[in-house]
Amino acid sequence: MSQYWIVAAILLPILGGALTPVLPFRSRRGMLIYLEVLTIATSAIVLTALSRGTTETLHLVYFVRGLSISFRIDGLAMLFGGLVSILWPFAMLYSFEYMEHEGHEKIFFMFYSMTYGVTLGVAFASDMLSMYLFYELLTLVTVPLILHTLVREAILAVRQYLYMSLGGAAFALIAIVFLMVYGDTMEFTLGGVLNPAVIGGETNRLLFVYLLAFFGFGVKAAIFPMSAWLPQAGVAPTPVTALLHAVAVVKAGVFAILRLTYYSFGAEFLKGTWVQPIVMGFAMFTIVYGCSRAVKEQHIKRRLAYSTVSNLSYIILGASMMTPAGMVGAMAHMVCHAFMKIGSFLCAGAIMHQTDKKYIYELNGFGRKMPVVFGCFTVSALGLMGVPGLAGFISKWNLAKAAVESENVMAYFGIGCLLISALLTAIYMMSIVIRAFFPGRDFDGRSTEGVRDPGWKMCFPLLCFAAAVIAIGLCSDPLICFLQDIAAGIY
Amino acid sequence: MNFNIWLILAVFLPIACGVLILFFPGLKKRNLLLGVSFLSLAVSMLCALAVIAEGKAELHLLQFGGSLEVYFHVDPLGRVFAAVITVVWLMAGIFSCEYMKHEKEEKRYFGFYVLVYGVLMALCFSGNLVTYYMFYEMMTLTTLPLIMHNKSREAIMAGLKYLFYSLCGAYLVLFGIYFLNRYAGTLDFTAGGSGLEAAGGHSALMLVVVFLMILGFGVKAGMFPMHAWLPTAHPVAPAPASAVLSGLVVKMGVLGIVRVIFYVVGPEVIRGTWVQTAWLTLTLITVFMGSMLAYREKVMKKRLAYSTVSQISYILFGLALLNPEAMTGSLLHVVFHACVKSCLFLSAGAVIYKTGKTRVDELTGIGKEMPVTIWCYTFASLALVGIPPASGFISKWYLAGGSLESGIPVFSWLGPVVLLVSALLTAGYLLPITIRGFLPGADYDYEGLQKKEPSGVMVIPLLILAGLSVLLGTFPNPLIHYLNEIIGTLF
Amino acid sequence: MAFVQNVPFFSIMLSMFSGIVSSILPGKAAKRLNTAVILVIGAASAWLLSWLMRTGGSFTFMMGHFPAPWGNEIRAGALEAGMALFFCVIMLLSMLGGRKKLFDEVEVTKHNIYYILTDLLLSSLLALVYTNDLFTAYVFVEINTIAACGLIMIRQNGRTIEAAVRYMIMSLLGSGLLLMGICMLYDLTGHLLMSNIKESVAAIMAAGTYQIPLTITIGLVTVGLAIKSALFPFHAWLPDAYGYSTVSSAAMLSSLVSKGYIFLLIKIFYCVVGFDIIVGSKIPNVLFLFGLSGMIFGSISAIWEKDIRRMIAFSSVAQIGYIYMGFGLGTTEGMVASIFHILAHAATKSLLFVSAIGLTDVSAGSRNFFDLTGSAYRNKVAGVGFSVGAMSMVGIPLFSGFVSKLLFAEAAVMHPTHKMMPTLIVLAVSTILNAIYFLKTVVRIYVPEKREVEAEKGYFTMKAGQQRLYTITIILFILINLVLGMMSEPIIGIIETGLIHFI
Repeated sequence: MSQYWIVAAILLPILGGALTPVLPFRSRRGMLIYLEVLTIATSAIVLTALSRGTTETLHLVYFVRGLSISFRIDGLAMLFGGLVSILWPFAMLYSFEYMEHEGHEKIFFMFYSMTYGVTLGVAFASDMLSMYLFYELLTLVTVPLILHTLVREAILAVRQYLYMSLGGAAFALIAIVFLMVYGDTMEFTLGGVLNPAVIGGETNRLLFVYLLAFFGFGVKAAIFPMSAWLPQAGVAPTPVTALLHAVAVVKAGVFAILRLTYYSFGAEFLKGTWVQPIVMGFAMFTIVYGCSRAVKEQHIKRRLAYSTVSNLSYIILGASMMTPAGMVGAMAHMVCHAFMKIGSFLCAGAIMHQTDKKYIYELNGFGRKMPVVFGCFTVSALGLMGVPGLAGFISKWNLAKAAVESENVMAYFGIGCLLISALLTAIYMMSIVIRAFFPGRDFDGRSTEGVRDPGWKMCFPLLCFAAAVIAIGLCSDPLICFLQDIAAGIY
Repeated sequence: MNFNIWLILAVFLPIACGVLILFFPGLKKRNLLLGVSFLSLAVSMLCALAVIAEGKAELHLLQFGGSLEVYFHVDPLGRVFAAVITVVWLMAGIFSCEYMKHEKEEKRYFGFYVLVYGVLMALCFSGNLVTYYMFYEMMTLTTLPLIMHNKSREAIMAGLKYLFYSLCGAYLVLFGIYFLNRYAGTLDFTAGGSGLEAAGGHSALMLVVVFLMILGFGVKAGMFPMHAWLPTAHPVAPAPASAVLSGLVVKMGVLGIVRVIFYVVGPEVIRGTWVQTAWLTLTLITVFMGSMLAYREKVMKKRLAYSTVSQISYILFGLALLNPEAMTGSLLHVVFHACVKSCLFLSAGAVIYKTGKTRVDELTGIGKEMPVTIWCYTFASLALVGIPPASGFISKWYLAGGSLESGIPVFSWLGPVVLLVSALLTAGYLLPITIRGFLPGADYDYEGLQKKEPSGVMVIPLLILAGLSVLLGTFPNPLIHYLNEIIGTLF
Repeated sequence: MAFVQNVPFFSIMLSMFSGIVSSILPGKAAKRLNTAVILVIGAASAWLLSWLMRTGGSFTFMMGHFPAPWGNEIRAGALEAGMALFFCVIMLLSMLGGRKKLFDEVEVTKHNIYYILTDLLLSSLLALVYTNDLFTAYVFVEINTIAACGLIMIRQNGRTIEAAVRYMIMSLLGSGLLLMGICMLYDLTGHLLMSNIKESVAAIMAAGTYQIPLTITIGLVTVGLAIKSALFPFHAWLPDAYGYSTVSSAAMLSSLVSKGYIFLLIKIFYCVVGFDIIVGSKIPNVLFLFGLSGMIFGSISAIWEKDIRRMIAFSSVAQIGYIYMGFGLGTTEGMVASIFHILAHAATKSLLFVSAIGLTDVSAGSRNFFDLTGSAYRNKVAGVGFSVGAMSMVGIPLFSGFVSKLLFAEAAVMHPTHKMMPTLIVLAVSTILNAIYFLKTVVRIYVPEKREVEAEKGYFTMKAGQQRLYTITIILFILINLVLGMMSEPIIGIIETGLIHFI
């Protein structure tokens, strides 16, 4: 029964969002309340449905070739769906204050809401084709959001985003067709669906196709060399970059890779083949590449975007180990990074909103004046570095544990990449923190006059995320046990 | 069991008080600030002394994920370190009361000063490697503001360099911890180590891992090639902070190595391997190089910093020999060096405070102006050089003896030779200040002589520390006896 | 013989007759007659289709009382009926969508000529679909060419005349080659009726004689029809023809005319020569290669275009490439995919042309890409239509384009030959290329233009209420697209059944 709730949860924000420009609101406040209630209601539906936990598939619509749009709540779906539902209401609340100074709010909120529904669609899709459908829709529905400011930069950024995303998905389609032909079913099954009897001598071809799909979905997951769109998309308003490009869109990419690897082709099929070093190698390279670019970048949001590029490859590294432990590490980082990165982006947005300053070197001494914002930013920074007691340490621990257990020499270098990245993260994050709190002797207070913390609608989400980072860091057992169950196929 | 309360208080009270001092806005008046700081320090130290006296507390505090646990366990080694830290911290703290009058932003200084004490206590009382790592990172982060205190460009760059190197080292250690988690018997500290049985065929890998951990902790201990931060960071901090950084914080690196080699892995794993050889080489290089660079350095505090680099490697050399007698020498030197180096830094600080002179060549006749200070300096120098009956002699005796006895080719005789040469150099870089200080030569302006002795608050700690430097050497037996007990359990 | 079996003959005759009658009717009456005829034929074809699906199989219809092999024959199966129905629907919608432009662009006195040409076009298309005789096919191919030329030229400006001439030249070249092929086939086999020719060809192949002449014949026929349907590299006439003619013409040309020739080619492959023989010769490989090149080249040329209609026209070149690639795979699944793509492309391309005209109208008639900024806000209906068309082209699931791509890919994967990987890779690459030029345009039309610029350039806004017919047309096109995209199984079923009974 709870699958119907899922369909409701997916449709509610889409339809509710689509109605936003049309409904006659008495005041701006009325519209905001409507939106927040819509989002919270959807999250409530999702979380209730998850807690009931049935695992039957709901086939909504059959269309071509025996393919259908269907939904199912399995472990990975619970994780992604739950994560997204928890984060969206906060981000929505934050965007209210933020968007006050931007224009065209109604269109913005329409698509922002619709993206929520579509992301849930990606999460709860029970087979490759349904996921592909919602994946493509996700690309389309986020286009107006990136395009929002309508400056030339935004147009160029959205074009790049479109071409790369759709192009990537086109390559992923090849894999879908192969799964149709060589697999027992298109439904996601832990361990893969490929039928060994049918494969015959086609193994190498299938591996090549996997690689194509990996890079195809890897566009959204920003693996090198498909990562170029992500820093450009920083031109969008911060609620968009924060939620979409730190949480929803990019996590949909890694989610798709996880589904592709563990639930379609199957880890056993892929482990030890020539594909694994390639995949691992690109992940490792991206980890270091992202961080190196971040160090050199002076624009706040682009720096954080490069950081996202790097962190996504942590998840891909975990996935590429093709073991349950690797999957656990990948999922752990999915969760931990989401909280940390959304916190950092929202802090960056708060700075930009309050002061119009976009570059790192303009932030001297802001720490004293905006203690809440920079306090939360420091928590995120320390978390991303992997300081014990915060969320990042837990996910890195699980990733490293998986790497050590895999006894794969390349994985050991993978750990090295993780730590080099931690070091670079320390540089590019702590330099902001230090600059804010220790601005140097020749600093005068004039440039920070009038700088204050933003209102409660922006501060409250920041504090919640910082608290979550600390909470996960100190008490991660429930989460890790849950993830281990998912990897073992219990859900 | 009720001693656990003392343990918690000893660790967390200073941390809490430090945080309070930092954030509570009402502590504007200097006397109030000092009062609160000293009260918190005093109470914490009493608790620590209680724990040290009892010697058998154990506490599983928090399990934050899988095998990750915050675990405190008071053992004899921890007691020794804690005792040294407490005494020296108190002395330097008293010194700071007067000294910090001519620096600004005392609130931040004292806040972190109290906080770091708690962190160091946590390190001494850590019961497993994870807890150690956690507080190690915390130590790096909380000592950073102490280094960057005067917010000059130099200080901030030095702080960043410190951060970078320390994190490098910490991540090398973390790399090792990931592997030890899998392959060591347990991450809890057990005397003699729990061995690497689970490693099986991975012995080459484990050697690499252990070596990396030695390098990692060696960063904090200033071992070549990762020593470059030390001469930059220690001098730029306020003098009492330099004293504790050089005297105590670096010892945490040493403690880390001891814990890894002797309490987790077990010395037999590296005995006779390339790891031991490399380690010995590096330490001897550092000993020699540190002394040479100190000899040529003209800025007083930097000279003392290079001296620290050199002296700590004495300790590491003794540890690397994996020999009970050498280890006695090392642990003795831990205690002695702490007292000596802090005394030296504090006297340098007194000189700067009273006369503003930082370079060695400006210090002619200083002994006439500040006799008590320079006499304390002299006794400490004698101890460091190793003149009987001052303490340094005892530790060097044991080191040399252990080296000769160890039977390791080349190093058994090379060690004492290098130690001797270094002792000569030590004399060369420490004693001229005394000599020229008391016997300034013909062209000194005797008429314009003014007594610039600092006040009692600064002089008394100097006297106590200098006294300890000598007396511990004259009556070393209780200490030696206690250390032998500890060492007996490790081999 | 059931009454419904008269439908094919009836359809052809009706449309031809109405064409003749329209010559004496004034414009408005001709228009109404035209619309009525299309509706009637469409309904009849639907009836025929449902009857055929129920009874299964196909039938031949003797024209007059002369039995084969002397008399003429018509053949109808599920596939033919389906195609006929589809052609009617597309033609109707294209006419409706471009009606307003027709008034603007064509002189009043020439309106009835337009409807004559349209009727002739319909009749020749139907004849090509239903005929079982090669000579008849040739005759109607020529009628088709002339009608198409007229449709291009009806809007008189220099460009269209040039385009029409170019079209005429190339088309006649194609027809010439076709005629040569037919003559040689007649020489070799002694028959003109398709089923008879097939038996003879089978006999020839079995005997092993006349191999080379047969191959050359097939080659001539193929190249001839390929030129007429604008396969790369014979596509030079297409951009101008589609780009400059009036909207209804462009829509019909791109959706129907070229597809008619392709359908004839399919017929020749299956009913004249025999599919296995075709696969045995190397002709599919050549078609495959040209198809792939067309896909890439068409898209690349489209990217360089700044004129929206020519861009859509080049996109047609690419799409025809897809169809020939499907032929080139040489399997039944490939054929099914190609035929489905004929339907999908027809629906989508017409939608795009009709929407594009809406967008250019509110941009002072300019077709330049930059002038179209913000036009989707000025004409919301056209904007939506164009976006839907673009998404279908790019292959977003739920739209028809996705199903075609899926079918092509599946066809390739089912029989792993060395053709598989190039097919898949080029499919993916062409999706990216499509995305580039279509989505660039979609983004552009949705970026609002500043008010001052709009006033200065004389742009105006068109609401849905002002163009009711247009709006209905667009909505119907979108619905067709969605039906093809979401309820494709039955349609594919019809195609598959039809192919089986084709032979």
